Amino acid sequence: MSGRQIMTADEIRRATIRLSHEIVEKQAGTDGLVLIGIQRRGVPLARRIAASIAEHEGAALPVGALDITFYRDDLSMVAQQPVVKGTELPTGIDGKTIVLVDDVLYTGRTIRAAMDALVDFGRPQAIRLAVLVDRGHRELPIRADHVGKNVPTSREELVRVHLVEVDGLDEVEIERMVAAPQPEPVA
Amino acid sequence: MTGPAVDLEISRAWLVDPAAGREGPGEIVVRDGVFEAVTWLSGAEADGIGPDGVVIAPGFVDFHVHLREPGNEDAETVATGLAAAAHGGFTTVCAMPNTDPALDEPGVLTQIRAAAAASGSPVELLAHGAVTAGRTGEQLAAIGELADAGVVGFSDDGAPVRSATILRSALAYAGALGLPIVDHAEDASLTGGAEANDGYVATVLGLRGWPTAAEVAAVGRDLAVLADVVRDVPGARLHLTHLSTAGALDLVRAAKAAGLPVTCDVTPHHLGLTDEWLAGARRWAWEAGDDPWSDGALVGPPYDPSLRVNPPLRGRGDAAACLAALLDGTADAVATDHAPHTEVDKAVEFGLASNGISGLETALGILLAAVDAGRLPLLRAIGALTTGPMTLLAGRSRREAAGLVEGTAADLVVFDRSASWAVTPESLASRGKNSPLIGTELRGRVLLTVAGGRIAYEAPDA
Amino acid sequence: MSTAIGPDAAAVPSVDDVPESQPIAWRHRHLLDVDRLSTDELDLIMRTTDAMREVLARPIAKVPALRGRAVTILFYEASTRTRVSFEVAAKNLSADVVNIAASTSSVVKGESLIDTVRTVEALGAQMLVMRHSSSGAPYLAADIFSGSVLNGGDGWHAHPTQALLDLYTMRERMPGGSLAGRKVVILGDLLHSRVARSNIWTLTAAGADLWLCGPATLVRGFEAWANRGAAGRRFHLTTSVDEALRDADVVMALRIQRERMAGGLLPSMREYAARYGLTRERLALARPDALVMHPGPMNEGVEIAPDVAAGPQSVITDQVTNGVAVRMAVLYLLAGTRVPS
Repeated sequence: MSGRQIMTADEIRRATIRLSHEIVEKQAGTDGLVLIGIQRRGVPLARRIAASIAEHEGAALPVGALDITFYRDDLSMVAQQPVVKGTELPTGIDGKTIVLVDDVLYTGRTIRAAMDALVDFGRPQAIRLAVLVDRGHRELPIRADHVGKNVPTSREELVRVHLVEVDGLDEVEIERMVAAPQPEPVA
Repeated sequence: MTGPAVDLEISRAWLVDPAAGREGPGEIVVRDGVFEAVTWLSGAEADGIGPDGVVIAPGFVDFHVHLREPGNEDAETVATGLAAAAHGGFTTVCAMPNTDPALDEPGVLTQIRAAAAASGSPVELLAHGAVTAGRTGEQLAAIGELADAGVVGFSDDGAPVRSATILRSALAYAGALGLPIVDHAEDASLTGGAEANDGYVATVLGLRGWPTAAEVAAVGRDLAVLADVVRDVPGARLHLTHLSTAGALDLVRAAKAAGLPVTCDVTPHHLGLTDEWLAGARRWAWEAGDDPWSDGALVGPPYDPSLRVNPPLRGRGDAAACLAALLDGTADAVATDHAPHTEVDKAVEFGLASNGISGLETALGILLAAVDAGRLPLLRAIGALTTGPMTLLAGRSRREAAGLVEGTAADLVVFDRSASWAVTPESLASRGKNSPLIGTELRGRVLLTVAGGRIAYEAPDA
Repeated sequence: MSTAIGPDAAAVPSVDDVPESQPIAWRHRHLLDVDRLSTDELDLIMRTTDAMREVLARPIAKVPALRGRAVTILFYEASTRTRVSFEVAAKNLSADVVNIAASTSSVVKGESLIDTVRTVEALGAQMLVMRHSSSGAPYLAADIFSGSVLNGGDGWHAHPTQALLDLYTMRERMPGGSLAGRKVVILGDLLHSRVARSNIWTLTAAGADLWLCGPATLVRGFEAWANRGAAGRRFHLTTSVDEALRDADVVMALRIQRERMAGGLLPSMREYAARYGLTRERLALARPDALVMHPGPMNEGVEIAPDVAAGPQSVITDQVTNGVAVRMAVLYLLAGTRVPS
C-alpha cells in the first residue's frame, strides 16, 4: 500500500468506543436497538460497537449483516462482479431502531441501497447511520448520525479502511487513485 | 462479347504440365490465343526460378459444379458461376442438372449455353443431364436427346439415383452412348435428419449423426449394379462423385483393381477440412488432433452453417483417405461440388441450413495448403485439376489438350504461390458467400486465367 | 443459509469469516454452453446462487438488481418448467419480462430466427433467454444480438442452467460441498439429451466419478467422448445398470420419449422400464443415502418408479427450487458484464 495513514489502530479503537456511547445516548438506552453492518467492513465494525455496548451497558444487542450488492444502481458500471457476501438479519426488524454501520460514507449511494434493502425486510421505527469515516462528496441527501472521523478528501483520492477481522490489521489510509485496467468481456 | 484472342509472354516462371508429367522452370508465349511456344529452361537460364513463386499450369477442369440457373439465380447465375470459376483458375466447368426446372431435356441446356454466351466469359460450360425426369428417381430422363445435345454425363446429384433398378437401366442406356452415370452415393435410410458426420464431434455438439456407412453402403450398391450391367453393356461407366470416406474409397480401389469401369472424385473440402471445424477449430485436416476441446484448437464459434455440406465433413482419418486416394490414383480428379447458396438459405440454424460449400475459388488454395504441408506433390495436385477430370469428359470438351501444348488454344492459369489472399465475401466472385474459409488467408493468388485463348480473369493489380 | 440469528454477536455472519479472496472476473457476455466455463467460474456461479437462495428466503423475495432490464424469453419448444423458472428468476431480480412462445409469434409465418432476434432487440430486449429444437441455434442468435443470450436448451446439445442447478443441488447435499470422487450416474437416453451433455462438462469439472448408462442404442457415440474425456476429463460408459448403480452417490434418471420406439431405438416402454427403470430394488445397489434426481418432466413408472421419485432420497423438488436461484445468479452475472458500446 502506498497510502498515507490517517487513523491508527488506537484511533480506530477510540472512535469505535465513542460511537457506541453516542448510539446509546441518542436512543436513551439500548431498548429496541439493532446494529446492522453493511458488507463487508461494516459488519466487523458493528460487532465491535456491539461488544463495546455490552461492556459498558451490559446489554447484548442483535447484530446483522446486510449485503447491498443487489441494490446497487451501478451494475453495468462494475467491470468485474462484486462477490456477493450474503445477508443475515436478526428476526423481526419491525418497530426497531436500526443503526446501519459502515466503514466509509462517501456519495451516499451505498446507504441509499442499504435503506432500500432494509425496507424489504420490514418496517423499522427508525434507521440511523454510524460510520467510521465521513469523507464528504455526497451525491444524495444523506448524512450520518454518528461519525468516527471527518476526513476532507478529493474525488481523486481513495480512503481505505483496514480491519483486523478482514485485513489482518487496523488502520485507515488515503491514497491517490490509479486507474485499473478493466477486463474485456468475451463471448 | 468475348474478349479478343490474347497475346501473352511470360518468362521465368515455374511450369507445371501434368499431361507431360513434368514441372520446372520455363516460359510461354501465346500469340493470338494459341500457345506459340512452351519452353523449358535449364542451366543458368533456370537459376532462381522455383516452384514457390509464379506458377503456370493448364486451365483447371471442374467436373462438378452447381450454377443454380435456371431457377435459383439469387444464389448463382451462369455468369457469376463462370466468373467464380475463372477467379479460381478453372477454364472448364460441368454444371449439375439440379436446377429448376431440372436439366432433363435439351431445352434447359440450350438455355444455359445461351446464358454462358451472353456472359461473355470464355470459360467453357459443359453440363450433366439428369438421370431421371425431374430428378424424381422414377422415369429415365431424355438421356439419348441429352447425349446428342452434348452433355458429359448423367446425374441426379443433390440426391442419389434412388433405386437400384433405375441405376441399372441408366448405366446400360447411357453406357451404350458412351457416357457415365455420376452418382451421389448416399443411402438415405441412414441419413434422415442427419446433420454432421457421425462421431465424436457430432456427439459432443448434439448434432444428428451422418454415418460413413451411408456412403459405403451406397457405393457398394452402385458397384454391384455396375458389375452386373457391364457384362452386357461393356461401355457402361460409373463415376462416384464427392466420395468422403475411407470405406467407399477402398471399395473403389478394389473395384478398379478388378477392372470395373468406375471413376471417382474427391472435393477440396473433404480432404482439407474435418468435422472439428463444426466445433470451432480452424486447422487443416492433416494438422487435426484427437480432441479439439482439449488441445486449444477451438478458435471460432461452433455451428457455422457454411460448414453444412452433403456429404458432411468427416474425421481426419477419412480426410487422410481422400488425400491418399488422390496420391494412388483411386481418385481420378478433384471436383469442387461448388454449391452456392443465398444468405437466406445459410444464415439459419445449422440443422436447417442448406447443404453446400461455395468452392470454385478456394479449391486451389486448399490443395496448395496440402502441397505446402508436404502431403501432396504439386504435380499431382495440378493433375487432379487438369488431366484427371479431362479424362472424364468423354471427348466432349472443346479443348484439344489437357496440358501446355504448342499449337493448341491456350487454356492456362497463372498463380503466385508466394502471395496470400484474404477470403472475404467481397473477394469471391460467386454469389455464394457460403465458404467456411471466409476470414482465412489462402496461398496461391490467381493472377491470370486464360480460357480458349481469351482472358477469363486478370487480377486487378497483376 | 438462515436469516434468523440470536443476539449472540459471535454467531453472526459466518460468511464474514471467509478470508477475502481474489475476486473472479466474469467475462462472458452470453451463456450458450458450459464447455468453456472454468472451475473458478463455476464456483462463482455457485456462490452467487447461494446469495440468491438467501434472497428467495426473504419475506419479499425480490431485489432490484435488474430493475429496468428487459428480458425476453423466446421459446421455440414447448416447456413449462424451464420457461416459468426463468420468468420467476428474472422477476425476482425486478427485470421486465416478455414471453414469446413460438406458436403464437410470427415464427409460424416463416420468419427466420435472425429476423425474430432482430425484432426482439428492436423492441428493447437486452437479455434473451431462448430455447430451440436445433442444436447450436443460440450461437446464431448471439452472433447478431447486442445484449446477452442465455441458452435455455438447444436441440440435443446443451441445457446450461439445468446442469448448473444439478451441480448446485448435488454440492448442497454432499458433505463438505464437494463432488470430488463421488460416483454420479446419469441413466437413460443420453443420445437425445442436452441435459446429459451439459452435465458431462460440469460434473467432470467438479471432479465427480461420472458414469453414463443406458441401452446401447441410446448411448451410441458416447464411447469416443468417454475415452477422450471432456477436454481430457474422462468418464465411464456402460450398458449395465447394475454396474452403474453400485455404490453410487447420485443417480439421475433421464426422460424417455415415446418417439424412440418409432425410431427403432427401443422395443417398448415396458421393456425399458423393466431393464433400465430406476426402481427401489435397483436403487438399493447405490449407497443408502444416494441422491435421486430427475430433470423433469417425469414418466413415472417408466424411467423412474413413483415411490423412488417421491421417496426420501429424492431431491427432485430441490432441483426445481434451485433452478430459480441458479437462473437468478446467471442473469445477474451476465447483466453485469461490460458490453462494449
